[in-house]
Parts: sequence; C-alpha cells; structure tokens
Amino acid sequence: MDTYASATELAYPEISEIFADVFQHAGPLTRGTSPDDVSRWDSLQHIALIRALETTFAVRLSMDEMMEIRSVGDIERVLGRHGV
Amino acid sequence: MTSPSLDMPRPSWTGPMASAPMPEDKIGEIIDAVIDAAPECVRKRVLLPAIDWALVPPHKVSLLLSALDQANLAVPRWLAKPLLLAGHTLSGAAGDALAGVLAVLSRLNDAAGEPDEREALAASLDGLAYSSDVDADIAIALVRRLLALSWDDEALRFALSQAQAVPQVLRLAGGAFERHLENLPNVRLRISGSSTTRVLADALRPAFGVEGWRADISESSFGRVIGDLLSPPDDVDALVVLLDAEGLLMTDWRHAVQDVERLAAERADMLGEALQAFSSRASVLLLINTLPVPSGPTVGLLDRRHGVGLRRIIDSLNARILDAAAGSARVHVVDADQALSGLASRDHVDPKLWYYGRIGYSHEATQCFARAFAETWRIVQRGPVKVLAVDFDNTLWGGIYGDDGVDGLACGEDFPGNAFQAFQQECLRLKAQGLLLVALSKNEVGALDVFEKHSGMVLKAEDFAAHAVNWNPKADNLRRIAADLNLGLDSILFLDDSPHEREAMRRLTPEVRVPEMPEDPAERPGWLRRLSATWPARLTAEDASRPAVYAVRRAAQELQARAASFEDYLSALEQRLSLSFVTERTVARTAQMHQRTNQFNLTTVRLGEADISALAEDSTRGIVLLGQVSDRFGDHGLVIAATVNIDGPQATIRTLLMSCRVIGREVERAFLGALVGELASRGVASLRGIYVPTEKNGMVRDFYQSCGFSPAGGAGSGTVWTFAIGDTEPPGSTYVTTSWER
Repeated sequence: MDTYASATELAYPEISEIFADVFQHAGPLTRGTSPDDVSRWDSLQHIALIRALETTFAVRLSMDEMMEIRSVGDIERVLGRHGV
Repeated sequence: MTSPSLDMPRPSWTGPMASAPMPEDKIGEIIDAVIDAAPECVRKRVLLPAIDWALVPPHKVSLLLSALDQANLAVPRWLAKPLLLAGHTLSGAAGDALAGVLAVLSRLNDAAGEPDEREALAASLDGLAYSSDVDADIAIALVRRLLALSWDDEALRFALSQAQAVPQVLRLAGGAFERHLENLPNVRLRISGSSTTRVLADALRPAFGVEGWRADISESSFGRVIGDLLSPPDDVDALVVLLDAEGLLMTDWRHAVQDVERLAAERADMLGEALQAFSSRASVLLLINTLPVPSGPTVGLLDRRHGVGLRRIIDSLNARILDAAAGSARVHVVDADQALSGLASRDHVDPKLWYYGRIGYSHEATQCFARAFAETWRIVQRGPVKVLAVDFDNTLWGGIYGDDGVDGLACGEDFPGNAFQAFQQECLRLKAQGLLLVALSKNEVGALDVFEKHSGMVLKAEDFAAHAVNWNPKADNLRRIAADLNLGLDSILFLDDSPHEREAMRRLTPEVRVPEMPEDPAERPGWLRRLSATWPARLTAEDASRPAVYAVRRAAQELQARAASFEDYLSALEQRLSLSFVTERTVARTAQMHQRTNQFNLTTVRLGEADISALAEDSTRGIVLLGQVSDRFGDHGLVIAATVNIDGPQATIRTLLMSCRVIGREVERAFLGALVGELASRGVASLRGIYVPTEKNGMVRDFYQSCGFSPAGGAGSGTVWTFAIGDTEPPGSTYVTTSWER
C-alpha cells in the first residue's frame, strides 16, 4: 500500500493504481506528473491509460480529451468535467 | 508488486480491519445515524447504498447486522454485496443466509490464512470455478483476497476459471499466472492484420494461457497482411490474421459509384488470391477472422443489396475467407458474428481508437477475438470430447421415473416437456456429429424402457453406446464404461442436473469434464450448443458413423463372449483390411486420428493436416499409409495409420497409431506386414521404429519386439528398434485378409 499513501494528495486515489497497472509506475504522483516522468507512457500505452480511466470511472472520453490528457492534473480536470 | 486497475473503486484496505479509523467528523455521525435507523433504511432501500463501507469499522457493521436481525429482516443482496466487497464478514444469521459466491467471499474476508481454512475454502472455490455467473467485481475481490492470503494456487485456479468472462483477474494473478505458463506447451504465433495489431497481441497471451498454451507472440509489420499471406512465415506455428473493414477497404468516395464497386471487387479478389497462395505455399496454420456486421451502412436501406453497400462488400469478402477454409486444411476461420455475439454491434469499434492509432476494434471486441482465436487453436489441436454421458431424471426428461412413473414424465411437444425434447434433440445432434452417448442414471434398470414406452422421447435406448442404470456411484460406472470403450476419462463430458452428482464426479474423477448446467431446462438446449468442448474442428464421414461403429463393436464383443476360444472368435470375425495412401479426401481423418489416439500410438507425435499433406507430397521421401477395417458385423472405417520418412535404403516410422476400436485383433500385425512389403518394393532395406512412452501408451511398449524388430538402443526416454527387410519374416495375421486400393 506504499503507493496508496502518496495518493491522498490526488482527488482520485484510483489514478495511482491505474499508473501502477498500466505503466508499472510505482513512484509518487503529482498533478504535474507527465510522460516525461513515466518511462512507459508512450503513445501506445496512452490507449491503455484511456481505457483504464474509462472502465474505472465509467466514463467515455472523446478524441479531444484523449489528446488533452498530458499529465495527471489533466486527468483530474477531465474527470471532474465528467462529474466523477 | 503491481496493483491492477479495477472496474470499481478499490477499498483502501483489504481484509479484516480492527485498526480502520472511524472518521470522527460529520460523516461519521451521519453513518452512525443511518446504522441506528438500519431496519427502516433496508425496508425503504434508502441511505445505506450511499455508504462507503470501507470507512466503517467491523463493530459498527456488527451493530447494523444485529439491528436487522432483531427487526427480523434479512440482509438484502444490495446491501450484502457492498459490505463484502469492502472486506467485511457477515457473521451469525446474516452469514448463514448467504449463498454461493457471496458466502465464499464472506468466509475469505474472515480467514486468517490457516491451512485448515485453506483446505475447506479451496473445495468451495473449486465448485464456484465451474459456475459462469460470478459478477466481475466479486471475482476480482475473491482473487485479491486469495492473493492477500498468499493462497496463490487457489487464486490462479479461480482466475483461470473466470478469465473468459473477467479477463482482468488474470492480470491480478500475474506472477502465479506467469509461473503457470512456464509449464504449458509452447506455440509460436505471428500476428498480422489490416490495421494495428498491438492490442490483439497483448490479449492473445492470456487467452492462449487459459486454453493451455504458452504463446510466444511476434507481430508482423503494420498492414502487411496480404504480404504475409503471399509469402507465409515459416518460423512460427501459426499466422494469426485480424481483419477489419476500415483497414481493409479504405474506400475513396472521390470515385464514381461504379468505380467504388469495381475497386471493392478487386480488393476482394486480391484477398481471395492471397488466401489461395497461402493455402498452396504455407507450412503453418492460418487463423483468420471474418468481418463483423458493420455498425453503419454506406447505402442505407440498400446496404445489403447494392454493390457499394458496406454490408454487401463485407459479405463478399467473408465468402472468400470461408471458401479458403473450405479448400484448405491449413486455414481456420473465427466467425466474427459468433465471437462478438456478446457485444452490441456499435461496441465493435471504438472510433477514437481508430482515428488515434488505426486500431480496428474496441478493447472489448479485441478480447472477444483473442478468446475465439485461442479457442479455435485448442479445437484444431485437441478436438472435441468423444463421449457425452447424461443423466435421466430432470436432465433428459422432466420428473423422476421412480416417483412419477413413465406417464408422469415431461418430454414431448408441449410445455414444459418440449424443452426436454429439445435437449434430447441436441444430444442426437452431437451423436450425429460423432460423439458417443452414454446413459448414466441412478435408477431401476426399467428406466431404460422409458425411451420406448413414452411417446415423447426422441432418444431411443439403442442411441446409447453404453449405459449404466443402477444405484452404484456414477463415477465408478463411468470408469468401467470408459475402460470398456477404451477411451480416456478426459474425453468424457458429463451432464447432470444435480449439483451433488456433479460435485461427486469432479471429486472422484477429476479428469472428466463436468460443466455447470443451467438450472432452467429452457436454457439448456441453447447452452449445450454454445459449449465449445463439443465443437468439432472438422466433420468427417468417420465422425458421422462412429456411433454405428461402436454398435458394431458391441456385437463383436458379444460374439467373443460366445466363441469357444479367442482364435475361434478371430476367425469368425472375417476381418478385412483395405490399404491405401492418404488422399485429399482422407487427410482430415488421418490428422484427426493423430490428435485423438492415445493408447495404440507408438510416438504420440500429433501431426496435423498440413504436416501430413507435406509428408505425402513426395512419395520418394515419405509415405502415409492408411488401413480401413471391416468385419462380418460392419465397417469400422479408417482405423490405422502410419507415416514413414524414407531416405534411400533407410526408412523410419514417424508415427504409427490405431484406433482403440480394433485393438487386440491382429489388425496391427497385418498392417505392419503390408507396410514392410510396400517399403521393400521401393528398395528400402532397413526399417527403424521408435517407441516413446507416455502415460497412456504402455500397451505398445513391446509392439515392435513382437513383430520381429531388434532393439537398437534408446533415444531419450524412448526405445529404438530396427527391422532388416528381406532377412526377417515380416509380421502378419492369418485372421486378416489384406487388399490394396491404389
């Protein structure tokens, strides 16, 4: 649960789990975390991230939102817009 | 440790939690108030559903449960499920009232990890493993909890059983699953497609793992599918092709309608020709999908009629794919409509994935295709079960023969007997496709007469290749029947409406396949059709006649019982062996024998149709000899086969196998004698035979010795034998008349 404790800063603690699962990323996450900080966050794994967000939060993201998401902060903003 | 994502928010702790702090703020007070008013909240179904039970300590949950108990209220499922998913245990009356998967989860949440708990829970979990209606979130919670207890074996077994419906559980069991894969046979797959194949490549490894193979996966270059068909790879076992309409068609509407139509036809021709080229050149298998129904038409109402209608174009592409499969033993088709039948057609494609990365199918659809490819591979390699063992009361008919009498049984044209009659029709269908029916009922033997006395029965007593209608344990009966039929227990599918009988069968004979049957008889005919353990890879003429063949065999066994000596019996049989080389017509049956035969099989090398065709191509390098056996009771069909590699004066028997139907009748001696004669006429002087022991083929350990071969050492776990043609008398039998069909 070490990844969990650091997640309390985020509005959606599930995001840490998604990053652990999709990117095998166990380091701390901040709103500023971007593809530069996560080695496996490439264009193909981006699809897996979108899919994980869609299933975890039961939302359907648009193409624009798919492009808009370039950091953890972006994810929170997009999810907030969907009323999650 | 990685922690996979869920389809539901995860509780912030897993397991019993004495230490979880109750929030000391307003929220905590509200939760307290709701628990105080619990009976009222349950009756009205309000407030309780809004509570995050992960925040509530166990003693508060106990208060809730006892309040409901005092008010004489059961814990409804809508409340029990979130409590259990949050890691709580329902104790007392509420716990006793839980059934099935929720009861197991409740006990698991309470488990401390003791070995005796583990044993008791493992048995309950194995029961659940066969049930197909475990909710995804519960399956995930169960696997998580098992892993938290470090019960990895149980977690893996349960995850494998649920993986078809809930693919995420395999990722949860990641480490245990990877170790499991290490022990599985390996298959090399090359993935090619008309669009991006990455998502499929990721999904295939777990899907093949569930079916029992470790898949080594490599991807071809983007969009190289036609190229891969024209020059097939030779460094893999199978080429897996995922086609999608967008990627394949790329229609340009700048053209006039008639040009669009012409270009579409040209594309269909190109695919057809590439498939034909594959069939004639490839040494590997091809797994390829048809295109599904499109989610939107290109010519509206006319879509299926007009030449530029997307549906019409897809129909014609699909026809090419199916033609290729009909014409080649190497091509196996996954039908998209069947594979995707669980999804709505608009869910087949996720448009943003298509525009983002030319990914032709949604994640869900890709998972469906991965499962269908793996299932197809399993069916092609292993074939279906051989025996359908069925119960009588409340399975083949409604009611209980012993209580209701013949006339009280429901089976016929009218409701509710028509559902049972339809189920009998499905049994007959499987019999027509080559499965043997076995009757397995705890009943007085008179129950067999029901089939003749009750006018609604479409099954007749003689449809059963064997029956055991008595009060002995069904597992004992089935073991005896399997031995009589010379078939392995793992080739038997057992259908029984009673959970106790199913449980007993699984416990006593774990090899027998025992699916959970739907409780509602109306669901069963359709369910039996969807049961892929019965699906054939191909239907040969031999399959259709197999049940008749077993009837012949039963008559022969009766003759044997009457004959004064074994020799009298063999001569009275008047056996005839007809020899031929493999042809296009018989290659499917030959491959099928290679997949099915376990006992009389010297090397147990599972040659497929492609291998056999390749071997037969150049008769100076190899031959594939087949034998068809008939006797005074009828025709047994093609029952014995050998493949031989020839290298000048040296020849080696690569495979030699015989169906168990004719074991012990000297057919094999006559066959080997004929093979030796044929090789002699081709100038072969020395013939080599190899015996590779398996768990099942002990009966042929001394076969080569008994036929005059000399030992020539060992090779690995096997033994090598040689036969000097010309110097040694070839084997033969005075009880078999041999003829050639050339």
